[in-house]
Amino acid sequence: MDFFYTYIVLAEIYVLLGLSTNLLVGIVGIFSVSQAAVFGVGAYLTAFLVMQTSTPFLVAVLLSSILCIGLNILVTLPSLRVSGDYFVVTSFGIQLLATAVFTNWTGGTGGANGLPGVPAPWIAGHEFVEPSEFAVLATGGMALGCIAFWLIMRAPFGALLRAIREDELAVAALGKSVLRAKVSAAALAGAFAGSAGGLYASFLSFIDPSSFDLDASIFLLTMVVVGGARTLAGSVIGPFVLLALPQILALIDIPSSVAAAARQLIYGLLLIAFMLFRPQGLLGEKL
Amino acid sequence: MLWLHLLVNGLVWGCALGMVAVSFSLVFATTKIFHVAHAAVYGLGGYLAWSALKHGMPEWAALLVGIVACAITGTLIQKLLYERLDRRGATHLVILIASLGLSAVMQNAVAAVYTSNVLQFGLPWAARTTAIGGVLLTTAQMLTVVAGILSYLGAMWFAHRTVLGKRMRAVASNPFLAEITRLQPRQVHIAVMAIASAMVAIPGVLVPLDLGLQPFGGVPILLTATIAMIAGGVGSISGAFLVAVGIAVLQNLSLLVIPGEWSIGITFGIFVIFMLFRPRGLFAG
Amino acid sequence: MLRISAFALAMALALPAWAQPIRLGAVLPLTGPAAVVGTQEQRGIQFAVDEVNAKGGIGGHLIEVQFEDNQAKPDQSVLLFNKLVDLVKVPVVFTGYSGPTLAMAPLATRKKTLLVNGGAQADALDKASPYLINTIPVLAGELEVLADYLFGDASKKTAAVLYENNAAGIAGRDDFVASYTKAGGKVLAQEPVQFGDTNYRPALLKLGATNPDVLFVIITSGTPQLADQVRQVDAKYMVAGNTFFSDPELIANPNAEGFTHTQVLINAPDGMAAAFKAKFGTEFDFFPKQYYNATTIVLSCIEHLVKAGKPITGEALRTALLEIKTFKGITTTVFNTNTAATQINMNRLTNKTDTIIKVIPPK
Repeated sequence: MDFFYTYIVLAEIYVLLGLSTNLLVGIVGIFSVSQAAVFGVGAYLTAFLVMQTSTPFLVAVLLSSILCIGLNILVTLPSLRVSGDYFVVTSFGIQLLATAVFTNWTGGTGGANGLPGVPAPWIAGHEFVEPSEFAVLATGGMALGCIAFWLIMRAPFGALLRAIREDELAVAALGKSVLRAKVSAAALAGAFAGSAGGLYASFLSFIDPSSFDLDASIFLLTMVVVGGARTLAGSVIGPFVLLALPQILALIDIPSSVAAAARQLIYGLLLIAFMLFRPQGLLGEKL
Repeated sequence: MLWLHLLVNGLVWGCALGMVAVSFSLVFATTKIFHVAHAAVYGLGGYLAWSALKHGMPEWAALLVGIVACAITGTLIQKLLYERLDRRGATHLVILIASLGLSAVMQNAVAAVYTSNVLQFGLPWAARTTAIGGVLLTTAQMLTVVAGILSYLGAMWFAHRTVLGKRMRAVASNPFLAEITRLQPRQVHIAVMAIASAMVAIPGVLVPLDLGLQPFGGVPILLTATIAMIAGGVGSISGAFLVAVGIAVLQNLSLLVIPGEWSIGITFGIFVIFMLFRPRGLFAG
Repeated sequence: MLRISAFALAMALALPAWAQPIRLGAVLPLTGPAAVVGTQEQRGIQFAVDEVNAKGGIGGHLIEVQFEDNQAKPDQSVLLFNKLVDLVKVPVVFTGYSGPTLAMAPLATRKKTLLVNGGAQADALDKASPYLINTIPVLAGELEVLADYLFGDASKKTAAVLYENNAAGIAGRDDFVASYTKAGGKVLAQEPVQFGDTNYRPALLKLGATNPDVLFVIITSGTPQLADQVRQVDAKYMVAGNTFFSDPELIANPNAEGFTHTQVLINAPDGMAAAFKAKFGTEFDFFPKQYYNATTIVLSCIEHLVKAGKPITGEALRTALLEIKTFKGITTTVFNTNTAATQINMNRLTNKTDTIIKVIPPK
């Protein structure tokens, strides 16, 4: 059953990341491709706090989230100045810069070697080692994230964010602060990504830059689009589907040495077909 | 004289990067599509040329095979995928994801057929060196420089002196107006994809001639080229080419003062700061 | 993926029902940029398994390997490890790449499943888990031999280091610098290259400017391109490396003349490399050799257990391996700990052949 629980835990962590990406990209329309970098900072900071300073797990995750709030505001700030495609590529640059830091700052991140031995969480005298136990934590984290997302989307603030995506100028003309709304959304997205990072590092016990690179950022975007942009349900179903897909493809028996490449090829075809025939995603709003 | 060697090396690499950046810029400026599968087209050109060569074709014919095959591939991508997506009113994000899917299909098809090992062209003349101003350059490198400059000039000539080029720029600057003035943007898009794909096949063959073929070899090159294209200013061919050369030179010369592991990070760091101050690129009007 | 050759399938059908196949697992990067190494490792495992199955398997049991693709990512590795252990119930999982291996090591300990690494050489793997068996020595031992040879026998007093910027390369750099400095040599400079990037020129130019006596190189692929580029910059220094230099394409490259390297001793019978190439269309280079060796070690342990009538579990395999201790496959591999020791030679590439210039017995 560990296989099943591992899948659940990873998918739930990615749901938090999906919420983070969806909030920025889907709701506010800030096209960020550097969410994996923020996720990575959360993971490395939690690992550092737990390993080097014996900070309790929950406190470490909280501190990581706070740092990621600040960081995410910082990396989305250029969107105020740089718009559209220009911001996408700026965000690209930020992601590549972050990867360079994760890979080469050996003292802080373990560098390309990665950071092994991140201890499992201890909460109230109980150690969450087994995937089945950790699933409780991850489910809790995901539920908190989903509730926060749901409440915000129902509140007037959610409407304001959606309005900014549609017409930023009109919102500003109505006397609403676009800056404050964007910063708040970025902060929330940062908190999601940071806590996801903390859970990820503690669950895997090993982290290295490969989990937080441009591929990972693009994977997050793919999850949001396949699940369905702009909706809570979409952010939840996307990670579950995309993480299960390789396992489903593995059931196709291709008896040759090119099987793995062939499965990736089928994955690509599915992605294309999906974009052609269901561009709004599984549970998304019509675009 | 280390700086001179690094400078020349940067210029050579910049020419290869410049061809990728210019061709990507043609596509992006005209169709507004973030065509990440361009990296896969680049890869395909090299592999097909390699096959042609192994089947006994002369070198120039192999290069031609790569170029023509890529042009056809580009046309098909536009016609069968991007145009359909566009007709269905797909957003940029949706097209980007479809393009990623296409990349996965093409690169894994290449990996399945040719294996993931680094393949070599194994042409002794390509690695032969000639001294130019005290710097030794291989024939493959010199070809890259020549091809880079010619491609750049060719793209400039095409965009500014040909009817199709002028239509392309008109479509790029105002697709809506182009539609109602019967400039037939869809045809222009197909033509531009064909030309850009043919163009990216040139570095797609010349770079592996020097460095070997890898199924995912196009990805890092396209990343840097994208940044060059944006920093140069979307739609500016000179901007894309010159910034690409600039980035390559900067990455090389930066080794004089910093350890190599930081050269990529520093380049992108400079880029991010640059974008904050010139958010529409260096050469944008 | 279940890979059964047609012949093996026929055997399976012909065998009585009690001879269930023995299933092993492997988690390797089979797609993406890291597949250049992972697919070669896969071929090495498959080559060894096919060989045993062609002889009728072990005690009537055919061997099957389920290969899973982790794309060198730690989270996928953990997921796939659990899949193989939970659903397929494999006693052994082959692994490569130090990151994914370090991510799976704690699970191997908890699940008492043997994790067999035949390719990654980062020092951290030595003590990651009692259930992690490294059938290849960590780099430190091999590079100590190299450093001593370069400083002593070849009297190269200064060195520059070109390393791949990943776990393997960094471990190699650190181990070489430590050993070479200890021997009395001076390291003048070190430069990285990104994994998969075969443009070494900027780094070569910068390192060459320090005028070292020897350039130590540790890169997993792209060595033929390195040879071309070293020749191009008209290098005056000697080029030295580790077993990665025993790449047939490098050996065949005239520009690699004089490259010197350590070589984990391989006694592959004549025709083995040709048979491999005929079967897979790729060279029998460093990684398939190592994984062939790793697989034959595991298969010997399985045979030992089958003969003794014991169940094949990760724990039993581990005990058997440490009991048998010395394996005489294509390389003699000795397990005093869970990391192998093997004999190391010094080789030099001359006239497109890889010649032994010095034999260093294991300590």
